[in-house]
Order: sequence, then structure tokens, then C-alpha cells
Amino acid sequence: MELVQNFPAVSILLCLFAGIISSGLKKKAARWINTALILAEIVLNACTLGYLLETGESYVYVMGKFPAPWGNEIRAGVLEALTALFFCVIMLLSLEGGRKKLADEVEEGKTYLYYVLADLLLSSLLALVYTNDLFTAYVFVEINTIAACGLIMIRQNGRTIEAAARYMIMSLLGSGLLLMGICMLYDLTGHLLMSNIKEQVEILYASGEYKIPLLVTIALISVGLSIKSALFPFHAWLPDAYGYSTVSSAAILSSLVSKGYIFLLIKIIYRVIGFPIFYNSRIIDMLFIFGLMGMVFGSLSAIKENDVRRMIAFSSVAQIGYIYMGIGMGTQAGMSASIFHVLSHAATKSLLFIAAIGLTDVSDGSRKFRHLTGAAYRNKWAGAAFTVGALSMVGVPLFSGFISKLLFAQAAVQNEIKMLPALIVLGISTILNAIYFMKTVIRIYTPVGGNRYDTVTFKDMKSYVAMLICFIALNVILGVSSQPVTDLIEQGLAMFS
Amino acid sequence: MLYIILSIFFPVFAGIFLLAGKDMRNRKSLLLTVSLVLIVTTVLTILAITLMGGEMITLFNLTDRLPILFRVDELSVVFSVMVLTVSVCTGVFSFEYMKHEEKEKRYYGFFLIVLGVLLALCFSGNLITFYLFFELLTISSVPLVIHNRSREAVMAGLKYLFYSLCGAYLCLFGLYFIEQYGNTLTFSAGGVISNTAAAEHQGILLGIAFVMLIGFGVKAGMLPMHAWLPTAHPVAPAPASALLSAVIVKAGILGIIRIVYYIFGASFLRGTWVQSVWMILTLLTVFMGSMLAYREPVMKKRLAYSTVSQLSYILFGLSVMEGDSVTGGLLHVLCHSFIKAALFLCVGAVIYQTGRTKAKELRGIGKEMPMLMWCYTIVSLGLIGIPPTGGFISKWYLATGALSSGIPVFSWLGPAILLISALLTAGYLLPVALDGFFPGESFDYTSVEKKEPSAFMMAPVLILTILSVLMGLFPGHIVEYLSQIIEKIV
Repeated sequence: MELVQNFPAVSILLCLFAGIISSGLKKKAARWINTALILAEIVLNACTLGYLLETGESYVYVMGKFPAPWGNEIRAGVLEALTALFFCVIMLLSLEGGRKKLADEVEEGKTYLYYVLADLLLSSLLALVYTNDLFTAYVFVEINTIAACGLIMIRQNGRTIEAAARYMIMSLLGSGLLLMGICMLYDLTGHLLMSNIKEQVEILYASGEYKIPLLVTIALISVGLSIKSALFPFHAWLPDAYGYSTVSSAAILSSLVSKGYIFLLIKIIYRVIGFPIFYNSRIIDMLFIFGLMGMVFGSLSAIKENDVRRMIAFSSVAQIGYIYMGIGMGTQAGMSASIFHVLSHAATKSLLFIAAIGLTDVSDGSRKFRHLTGAAYRNKWAGAAFTVGALSMVGVPLFSGFISKLLFAQAAVQNEIKMLPALIVLGISTILNAIYFMKTVIRIYTPVGGNRYDTVTFKDMKSYVAMLICFIALNVILGVSSQPVTDLIEQGLAMFS
Repeated sequence: MLYIILSIFFPVFAGIFLLAGKDMRNRKSLLLTVSLVLIVTTVLTILAITLMGGEMITLFNLTDRLPILFRVDELSVVFSVMVLTVSVCTGVFSFEYMKHEEKEKRYYGFFLIVLGVLLALCFSGNLITFYLFFELLTISSVPLVIHNRSREAVMAGLKYLFYSLCGAYLCLFGLYFIEQYGNTLTFSAGGVISNTAAAEHQGILLGIAFVMLIGFGVKAGMLPMHAWLPTAHPVAPAPASALLSAVIVKAGILGIIRIVYYIFGASFLRGTWVQSVWMILTLLTVFMGSMLAYREPVMKKRLAYSTVSQLSYILFGLSVMEGDSVTGGLLHVLCHSFIKAALFLCVGAVIYQTGRTKAKELRGIGKEMPMLMWCYTIVSLGLIGIPPTGGFISKWYLATGALSSGIPVFSWLGPAILLISALLTAGYLLPVALDGFFPGESFDYTSVEKKEPSAFMMAPVLILTILSVLMGLFPGHIVEYLSQIIEKIV
């Protein structure tokens, strides 16, 4: 076995240890460990990706000495490595972009806890991405939930505690359903490792036995994970959780946490249930319909919103809808469009959150639209970055959002029944997106008389600007040369089955 | 290949540089920069047009099957010459006009970006490139509309934005299908739809063609998506209105020419329901636009309604799909942009000098600024279609083309409506000139003072007027050049 093959396991364990060590350290040290950790993760995952591309096939890594079907396994393929790498990059940018705000909003003595939580969150995300074992997945889903709750709650005020409580309740409901699903699968097949379950499920399906329990299992797992990733109509917890927590948390939650669950769902579809069986159950159509509804209703709620952070949060509901629509399309093309959108939305949404905080900071911290008037002149970089994010969300060519939309539409054209609803809703959603994002852009570029607010200059916020530039670059790269990424995704999907 | 890329990106980057850069020390250096950029762009474009022999230039690949592609063909030449002439004229006009507006730097920044994007549209070699710059055109021209940031302007800008984005999405919707059913997305004279696809999927392809017509028709102010135009054009500063009404709307026309003649092909659409519905829509728009303009008291709004009607003249010519009528349409593209730019600049000069905006208030204006009003009168005659101005030639071709097309009903109904609309055009343009020069006996001649605008404002108007007259006097060369295009596509 080569050294590189250990990297996925090492990267997960490294995060766990970093979290444990940080809990005994001072604020500064915890921060540096966290940054170093994420950088190390980026290197490790990049190496893994490079190795996988070179060999061209995925591999299974046995944890400990117990072979299948008893032991615990990790599986690394191109898609896993790509997603893990991307998650680490977004995590780094989000944390760095919101660093200053974090110092303001979190009590001095508690900042080290923030980094502990961030480390744990990263470890759970990586585990969700790499695991080949359903029970491990469940364990890390719980770790993820608790870390996420902490991230919401660490900024202590009434709204965040309420938001965290809501998030906790909905999330636990989701994990409960997922756990029930896993239990039933274990009951039906007698296995917990993904590859073994898949073999048994195929045999079961072919024999026609336990048809209804199998269907119920698929439903439980899908609904559980879609509650956790805030698919409409299970999104009630989302706007408060994203809207009131500190900005890094909002960026991480919206672009990574919910995406981790979606990735797990995709992995379960391919690696546990099997795509044909999942396709033949009706659940896929439900995901499609909920996705479409989310695209419209999420945007409608965003239009009504008078608070910029909550508006961006509601826009997430719509974007999650896009992803589920792609999954629900039931084609390979739809699935790869969804995965591309996972990446593209992660890059765009965290950019928007980080840019929005720059705008609200120069408006006396108010997030109401009427106070944001002219904010882009007071913080030029944040204004430009917000505009880029908004254009990407609307789907203007040259930005990543357009490629997602193109891929979704190309996938839709291949499916004759779902083509028309998908394209029409895509159109409606594009227009609705344009309404609230362009409204905001025009608002922040409308000059305001007098000098009521401070203006910030480049010197005050060098690292913030650097992060914004990285985000913009990421968006433009995904928008201009998307082909390598889509190729990787297709290669990874091919490895899945 | 360098020249095409440069002619597109030089003004765009110059505009971005202006927007992002520090304020210039004084007004003079700003104007100097802008004029320098305009001159360089003109030179680059001329070089691009003359040196390029129709080869394809791939800038980069959006995805494997979607290259961003530029090419110069005869149609690009016609449109780019039009874009450059009018942009330079309105740009020079702004030098004086924008003196009393705030935030000049922002205006010129977006002005230059729009110029670059328009050139890119002219040179686009395939549908995805065209779509990309079509979207960018909308986004970069909204700041021109909402320049003074009044509530009215912002609302108008938003209206413009949403109509345009709706239209653009309809085009994108079509693009997905053409990618599926067509051989390629590259514009090729005669269409790209393969015969088998045309036979098997005729119904859906016709539907898509119609959707795309409506989509590009938004920019060209065609029914049923015309409502943004009379709202958005008048609120912009006058030179920007001129640019919007004369050039930016032509992007929609160019889009329609490209999809009808270069993607679907005239032979595929001729005689189908799409053609009939399209003709009905254009004729309705012609008539309705003229009627609304006739009733409108505010001059800039009146001109905007007139744009709605005149653009559909062009579209009617295109919808007939016969050699002469298409020639007429293309001629009218040139005529209308020169004339409408001149008209908006005239009205802008009047506003600048006197602050009067309504037609009624312009009584005796000919005594105050005779030269300007002479130009106004001449180009008005052009728009009505009275020889020897360019408008006569284009309308002549439009009418003869329609009459000889042999399409039932429309072959005579079309020219009849064009004629009625010409009368209405006379009705809404000429009274201003008449009252201006002959205010009547009750007019107080003692209050008249000479208010002729300065050379910066006068020269562009004069040039545009002369161009529109020259087109009427010597149309031969242009028609000959256009016949090269017509031969290939009809």
C-alpha cells in the first residue's frame, strides 16, 4: 500500500486530534492550529486527488485489522477527494473572511471554542465524504449536528439561542429518521458496510421480497437527509440559523454543512441503494417536486425579506431546491449537474455572506435594506464582491451560476417528462433571483446624501479583501473553465457504481 | 485576430478602469481620456473589419461544446459601422451635455463598456457568445438608465432589467434545444438545423423559434414585451437615451436576424404559423407605437414610442423573408439609428439649453435655435419617409418587398399599415417643427434670444443628419453591399 492511500484516514483523524488539543489551548494558538490544520488538509486531499487521477480507480481503505464485512472502511474516489478538497478551501476562506467579525461577536474567552468546533465540523464533513460505512456516517452526522449547533450558538444573544434550538430539533428529527432507515437496512441485509448492503439490496430487489420495507427505508433516509439539508418544506430552521449566527458560521453552515448531507445522500443513492433501484422507487419524483417547489417558494420568501442576511439565507432554500431537482431528474447528467451546483453554490453563497457582512458593517451594523443604501461606496470591495455573487446567482455567463444552470437545463432536455416543468421553473426562479439580488445591488450602489456612516479603506481590511478576491476568482474559474471540473465529476460518478 | 479581441476588450477595460480608478484631476483630462479611447476603438474596429476575412476566432471554451467564438461577416460589418458612428456621435454630444449631470466618470465608464459589448455582439460567431454579451449588454446598460438615481429612474431601470432578463431567459431556453437538435451553435447562413431534425421535431422547433423571437423581441420593443422601452429610454440622460434608442435596441434586431436566418434558416420558417404570428405582432406594434407616440405630450417619451414603432418596421421587413424586404429592413436599421440618435440629441440639446420637455412648450423654438431645428426637420422628414432622405429608400424596399412576396393578405396589408403609420409619424414629428418655425401671430417675438447650442452638441447632430440624407441620395453602394448578405441568407 502506498503512503498516499493513508491520507483520507489521516485527514479525518488529524482534525479530531486538532480539535481535542485546541480545547486545552489559548485563543491565539487554537487559531493558528486551525489554520495550519486546514492548510494541511488541503495538501492531503490534493495529494489524494492527484493519486486517484493517476491510478484512475478508487480504493477501499480498511481501518484497523478487521476485514469486511465486520470492520470499518473508508473509500476514496475522485469525487470524494474533489469534494473534500473543495470543502477545505471554502472553510479556510470563510473562516478567514469572517475573522474580524468573530472577534467582535464572540466573547473573548470563548474564541478558542469556536476553533475547536470548526475542527470537529471539518472532521465530520470529511468523514461523511469518505466513509464507506453507514454507521460511521451516522456517528459523524451527529458530531456534525452538535458542532453546527455550537457554531450557531457561540454568538450569544436571544435570537441565536432560539435559532440553535430550532436547528437542533429539526436536525435531530432528521438524524432520527436517518437512524431508523439505517436500522431497517441493517435488519433487511445484515450489513453496515456500503458495498455489502448494496449486494444484498440487489438480491432482495430481484427476488421481490420485502418490497415495502425497502421502499420505507429509502423514504426514511431521503427525508431524513433532506430535512438536514433544508429542502423545502423542511427549511423553517434555516433563515434564523444562517441569519443571526456570526458570519463565518453562516457561510460554513450554508455552503458546507448542508452540502455534506447532500453528498452523503448521493453516496447512499449510488453506493447503498443502487441508482436503478432508487430510480424505480417513487421517492425520486418527490425529491424532484419538492426541489421545484423550493426553487420558487425560497425565492418568494427572499423577495419578501427586509433583512439582507435573511434574504441570502432564503436564497439558499431556492438553491438547495436546484440541487434536489437535479437529483430528482434521475439521469446521470442531472446528478452531475447537482454535484457541480453543490460546488458552485458553496463558492457563491459563502462569498455573498462574507460580502454582506462588509456592507452591513459600514451601515452601523444594520441589516435593513434602507440602511444599506450606498453601502457599496463605503466599502468598495465588499460591494464589488456582492455584485459578483449576485450576478452568479442570477446566472449571468462567465460566473459559476450560469454553468450550473446550463448543466441543469442540458440534463432536463434529456428527460422528456420532466423537461418542461424543470425548464419553466428554472426560468421563473431565474427571474425571481434577479428581482431580489438586482434590487439589492442597485440599492447598495444608490448614493446617499451626507456622511452619516464611516467609509473603510483597503488598509483596514487587507485579509478580508484577499479572501473576497479568492472567492471571486473561484467563481470566475468555475464559470469560465468548468470543463475540467465537470469531467472530474463525471469520472467520479463513474467510479461510484 | 488581435484586432477583433482588442476592439472589444479595449473599451471594456478602459470603462472598468475609469469606474474603478480615482477621480480625474479635472474634467478636461476625463474627456481627453474618453475621446482617446473612442478614437483608438474606432481605429481598431476599422482594422478588424478590413483585415479579417471571415475566419473564426475562439477566445476560450466555456465547456467542450460551447466555445466563445468571434467572426467578422458582412452583417457584422453593417452593424459595427452603425454602432461606432452613433456611439462616437453621442459620446461627443455628452461632452457638453453631461456638464450639468453628476458622476460623469461613472457615465463614461459604463458608456465605454456598453460600446465594447455592442461590438462584441456584432462580432459574435455563435449563439452562446451572442447570449453571453446580450446579458452583459443589459447589465452594463442599466446604470445608464438609472444614472440620476431618482426613484422614477431606478424603477424604470428595474423594469428594463426584468423585461430584458425574461427575454434573455427565453433565448437561453431556446439555446438548450438548439444545442440538442442543431448541428452546431455557430451562425451559418441558411441555418444549422439538420433536415432529419427539422422533419422529426418540426412542431417543437417551431415553438422554440417563436419563443426565441419573443425573447430577442423584448430588446427590440416588439409586442407583447415592449412596455419597458417607453419607460426606460426617456429617464436616461439624453445622449444615453439616444444610445439606447438608436443602438442598444438594435442588439435585439441583430439577435433576431441571427436566429431566423443563421440558426433556423428562412426556408425552415417560411410559410409556417411562426411567420404569420410574427408578422401580425410586428404590424400591431408598428400601428400601436405610432398611435401612442401621437398622443404623447412629452418629447422624449414620444420619441421612445416612435422607436417602438420604427423597430417593428425593420422586423416586418425581416418577417417577410424576401430579398427586397430584408434589404429594406437592414437599410432601415442604419437609417433609424442615425435619425433616432439625431432626434434624441436635438431634444436633449433643447432640454439642455432651455429646460423644456413638452412638445407644447417648443413653440417658437425654431427662432431660438434655427440650425438645430433645421436638422430636426430634415431627419423628421427622413423618418416619415419623404425623398430624398434615407428613410424613403428603406421604406420603398420594405413596401415593394412585401407587395411582391405573394403572402396572402399581408402582402397588401403590410404596406397599407406602414403607410398609415408614416402619416402618424408625420403627425407627431412635424407639428413641433411647424410650431417651432411658425409660432403664429400671438407669439411674443421680442422675448426670442439666440440659444444655439455649442459646437460639441451641434456637430454630432449635423453629422447624423448629413449621413441620413446621404443614405437617401446615394443608396447604391449600400444596397449593393447588402445584396451580398441577402444572397446568402434568403
